[in-house]
Amino acid sequence: MDQQLRTIIFFLAGIAAALILVAIFKWRVRKMPMSVAEKAEYLSRRRARMLPFLAVIFLTQQASYFTQSSATAVRAVDTVKISAWLVLSVIIVAALATKGFWLETKEVRELVDDENTRANRLEGMRWGFLFAMGAGVVIYFLTMFEPVSAREAVHITMSAGIVAALVRWGVLERRAHA
Amino acid sequence: MPERLANRIKERRTELGLTQAELAEKVGVTRKTVNTVENGVFTPSATLAIKLAAALGLSVEQLFWIEP
Repeated sequence: MDQQLRTIIFFLAGIAAALILVAIFKWRVRKMPMSVAEKAEYLSRRRARMLPFLAVIFLTQQASYFTQSSATAVRAVDTVKISAWLVLSVIIVAALATKGFWLETKEVRELVDDENTRANRLEGMRWGFLFAMGAGVVIYFLTMFEPVSAREAVHITMSAGIVAALVRWGVLERRAHA
Repeated sequence: MPERLANRIKERRTELGLTQAELAEKVGVTRKTVNTVENGVFTPSATLAIKLAAALGLSVEQLFWIEP
């Protein structure tokens, strides 16, 4: 099968897997009778707990990416790994840029992204931007001594930005819930 | 020396027998936001300050003040 087609299929499979996970989570929450405020509080606490774990999961994916040799041909398993990383990156960036919880009602989404959450999220994004820029500077400097492929450079820059944003947002949310 | 926005939310809230969650529901935010404003961790917007003051039956000036 053509390599590009295979990549697209794996990318779509990743999105499908993520949607299934979201559907399972939504089904579980639906079974709990809660008011809008209680649900927002529940989701907010759950998000505060999840953000650091998400950062760890995201980082472990980087380890698997950089342990593969760039000299060897890209195997199907590597395509899956890269696709999974790409899907997760897109979802995290979308969650950072929007209110997240896309399948919840408008009232819950508004409440779960209230003033304090918005401030924390924007602070996380600020950190993400600064770390991505910092990573860009470091990579630019490194290329003077060591060749870095475009894919690796983009991968490192994106990862630095996303992980920094997640960690900062997570820390602020956990502190706010304390 | 940075200035700090002090408040008497906790004092007033206790007087009225409200929990953080109940006050949060009244002003349309999560308990977390009320908690951070109450503890001086988060500086609220003018809109939220007015809503909090109205919910607690005080003026904004009575509820918040600047501490040097």
